[in-house]
Amino acid sequence: MKGFKRGILYLLFAIPVVTQLYPLLWLFLYSLKSNEEILGGSFFALPQKFQWHNYKEAYEMGSYVRYLGNSVFVTIITMVFVILLSSMVAYAVSRFRWKYNKIILLIFMMGLMIPMQATLLPLMIIFKNMHILNTHLALILPYIAFSTPIAVFILSGFMRDIPGEIEESAFVDGASIYRIFRSIILPISVPPMMTVSILTFITIWNEYILARTFISSERLKTLPFGVYTFVSQYSTNYGDIGAFLIMGAIPVILIYFVLSERITKGMVAGAVKG
Amino acid sequence: MNVLKVPTRTIAVFVLPALLLYICLVFVPIIVSFYTGLLNWDGITAAKFIGFGNFKNMFLHDPIFWPSVLRTLLYAVASIVEIPFCLLMAILLNRYVRKGNALVSIYFTPVILSVVIIGQLWSTIYNPAAMGGMLNGVLTSIGLERWTHNWLTEPKIAMYCIYVVSLWQYFGYHLLIQFTGIQNLPSEIYEAAKIDGADGFKADRYITLPLIVPIFKISVVLAFIGSLQAFDLVMVMTGGGPAHATDVISTHMYNSSILSQKYGYGSAIATFLVLVCLSFTVVINLIFSRLEKKFG
Amino acid sequence: MILNSKKMIGVALTGALTLSLTACGGTDTKTTDSGSATTGDKSTDKKVTISFQNIYPDPTTPSYKMLHSIVDQYQKDHPNVTIELDTLNTDQQKMKLKTQAASKEVPDITIVNPAAQMKPFVDAKLLAPLNDMLDQNGLKDTYQKGLLDNYSFDGNTYAVPDGNNIEVVYYNKELFQQAGIAKTPTTFDELLQDVKALKAKGITPIAIGEKDSWTGSFLFMNILLRTYGGPGFLKDVVDGKKTFNDPAFTLAVDRFQDLVQAGAFPDGATSIDYNAGGNIFKTGKAAMYIMGTWETGSIDASSVASKVAAFQFPTVDGKGDVNQYMLAPGSAFAVSANSEHVQETKDFLNYFALNLPKKQFEYKNAVGLGQKIDGDLKASGYSDLAISVAGLFNNISGGDLAFDNTMNPATAQAHLGSIQNLFVQKVDAVQVAKEHQSAFEANK
Repeated sequence: MKGFKRGILYLLFAIPVVTQLYPLLWLFLYSLKSNEEILGGSFFALPQKFQWHNYKEAYEMGSYVRYLGNSVFVTIITMVFVILLSSMVAYAVSRFRWKYNKIILLIFMMGLMIPMQATLLPLMIIFKNMHILNTHLALILPYIAFSTPIAVFILSGFMRDIPGEIEESAFVDGASIYRIFRSIILPISVPPMMTVSILTFITIWNEYILARTFISSERLKTLPFGVYTFVSQYSTNYGDIGAFLIMGAIPVILIYFVLSERITKGMVAGAVKG
Repeated sequence: MNVLKVPTRTIAVFVLPALLLYICLVFVPIIVSFYTGLLNWDGITAAKFIGFGNFKNMFLHDPIFWPSVLRTLLYAVASIVEIPFCLLMAILLNRYVRKGNALVSIYFTPVILSVVIIGQLWSTIYNPAAMGGMLNGVLTSIGLERWTHNWLTEPKIAMYCIYVVSLWQYFGYHLLIQFTGIQNLPSEIYEAAKIDGADGFKADRYITLPLIVPIFKISVVLAFIGSLQAFDLVMVMTGGGPAHATDVISTHMYNSSILSQKYGYGSAIATFLVLVCLSFTVVINLIFSRLEKKFG
Repeated sequence: MILNSKKMIGVALTGALTLSLTACGGTDTKTTDSGSATTGDKSTDKKVTISFQNIYPDPTTPSYKMLHSIVDQYQKDHPNVTIELDTLNTDQQKMKLKTQAASKEVPDITIVNPAAQMKPFVDAKLLAPLNDMLDQNGLKDTYQKGLLDNYSFDGNTYAVPDGNNIEVVYYNKELFQQAGIAKTPTTFDELLQDVKALKAKGITPIAIGEKDSWTGSFLFMNILLRTYGGPGFLKDVVDGKKTFNDPAFTLAVDRFQDLVQAGAFPDGATSIDYNAGGNIFKTGKAAMYIMGTWETGSIDASSVASKVAAFQFPTVDGKGDVNQYMLAPGSAFAVSANSEHVQETKDFLNYFALNLPKKQFEYKNAVGLGQKIDGDLKASGYSDLAISVAGLFNNISGGDLAFDNTMNPATAQAHLGSIQNLFVQKVDAVQVAKEHQSAFEANK
């Protein structure tokens, strides 16, 4: 009976493994098929002949390296600033004794409720007047701004539970608040920062609407744009599209699996009132 | 809690950079968008101020609006219903699997994939059998041909098919939140409870559940807001069709602004959407603060 | 490409492409070169960057090659000019341009669609009149007569098109044979018979990608063009002479539903996008494809190329004239009125537009060109399909523009949704007419 229960349990755990991982396998096979197989063939079938040239074509036609470079650049800068700025805000609202910390936190939380599409046109006008349309800044700034709410939310939850004695003893030793922040708070906040990093990374890496609207120069475009363009109505080789999707997903998959151990630790660290 | 007394200047140094950026690029634009909602404007030629005319049209004369609101709310409810199941899985994982983290990471995979990939994948699953659709293929092969459908094109079921995709995608997300929440519960409490004879599911009932309520709340709020704003997935899978049968608030907003070129009207819908998000967040918070009082 | 609808062009589009009389061959191009060199003399060292938003993203298509080869050549000839391409697909470009227009930030050259669709941009004074540019180097005369009218308002022309197409029925001869169909249908009833015959053989009768809802509308409008006995229905509605409750309109809805009910379209048509829909035909899985002639080149490049021919959309219940078509004047290049270097941009566009037909011809994409060109299709190795389709252009006796080129965007969206709905459920034609009429009145 015990074995039976255990079996059920393992089945319960195993089914999601299949359903959640299958898309990657599927996409990989898709990227190696010919148009005929994709449109007419069976869903489970292996490619009759592995069409590796799909990757070559996707690579050559899609400006992959340039888009990748731009995406990496924009994403890294954004993440550095999101983590730094959000940590500062989170620290201030969770540790400082001042009148408006609740309000400030609330204002940031409201950002979670604002759909990005609705801000597109106003942003366009702001950037036009700042003369930064068609530069990476036009992506980095809104990416930082839109990532801040969730980052502040996660980080402040964590920092609230840092025992006060640590800071107090540092204070007594004459350390400045900036020093405490830099040498004590930041290092111990690494777990939630990992969580923030991966969430920010996923969002920005896949973001497309702002990228399409604010960037016009080919040399500045980012990977999601490349992916969407590739899936354009003129492109008729589905295998190439699959190959490009795989190539676009590889960085995010790699980074995720490298960091996944840490993200599971930091997600809601501190949100529980112990 | 908030222990440090620091000069205002220091607070400013910590808060202002992010706050200014956020105010300028998130808050101001949405306020502008609220204002645009009061205009009759095609986005190109001169605008005309019409007060709440757009809202009147929206509430009284737009045959697409209320059904799309209803679908959006159903979307939100569906995504919340999933969370208790995620919590159960998280408890079981935590109890029976030593390397639970690895499994959770795997479950999380769909979240990291771009919505284009998700859309392509599920469209292929839902396709008619003639186009290699998996679901119909499987149903036919096990003799359930009667159950086959044109999943994404029958107005009565298309929306539910999209809910399923969304549940699938965010299963790992909420599981992760619950799972890490449980892992972060102080183990001393369980040890103390064990001494008092509370073990296994009893411990879960009397310790885990009450302590996990705040985490549960995070999941619920994120799921609710996320599904109220659901956009990409619907656009990729059906674009709101056939004949608006899968339009949700955000796709209706987008289609009105861009395709119908009623920019002011679309902005009014956006205003409505933000207000709905806000009020539901308040309601959820109220419910949970009651719950926390009851359990805590 | 595009789809839109609206007032008719009551002009015969004579001699669309086979002709050989005009004088816009190589010599003219030379003139262009020297011409712009002279005008540009004083600004030769001034560095100019021209942003060029375009909709040719796929490197395998002739249009892409055409664009790049002309741009490269121009940059070589004018070292001070940099053409910065912003290449998007059609949907992306439409959305981006609308956002840009709202903030008055239109690229130096952009793409607009004819008639009703570009009118708001013109009204907002975002586009520069191109009359002077058209007069330069005889560019104006290269366009088919009447074509530029679709891009002109109050005597000014604001854009020049990349082509001019009509809607025809492509069919797969082999699949027709398999279903025992001896000759192509000339009436709607015959078409319905053929649909049933094909269906009985398990062949998808008509390919379509109705997720992009303009495709169904384009087909529906062709039926309406017949049931109304000729072009102009939408124009008459706009002018208040007719309403959507007119019997011609409800009849068209009924006939369209007959097609749907006969199983003419693939299962799940409304979840298939334009591209995938076309591929059903191009992979030999569907017998007919009712689409604009811009598809000719890509059908020629597909695996069914040798089996495909085209016929004219049949008459409906004895009404209409098969020489009247759904007309699809192409997407068009427009210049931003706020451009910092309008003159340089016009010089470039003039060069571009003069060379476009030659390059298209060279890349085997001359069917549906909006400009007259020197050249013999047959001698240049064009397919029988291309030649026969090109031949249809010679007898055009008028037609209608797509719905969204005729009506305002909000009404057009209501129409597209309404037609898409017919694919998934049967609706009383009177009801469909009512939906149209109330959308039209609400958005007047």
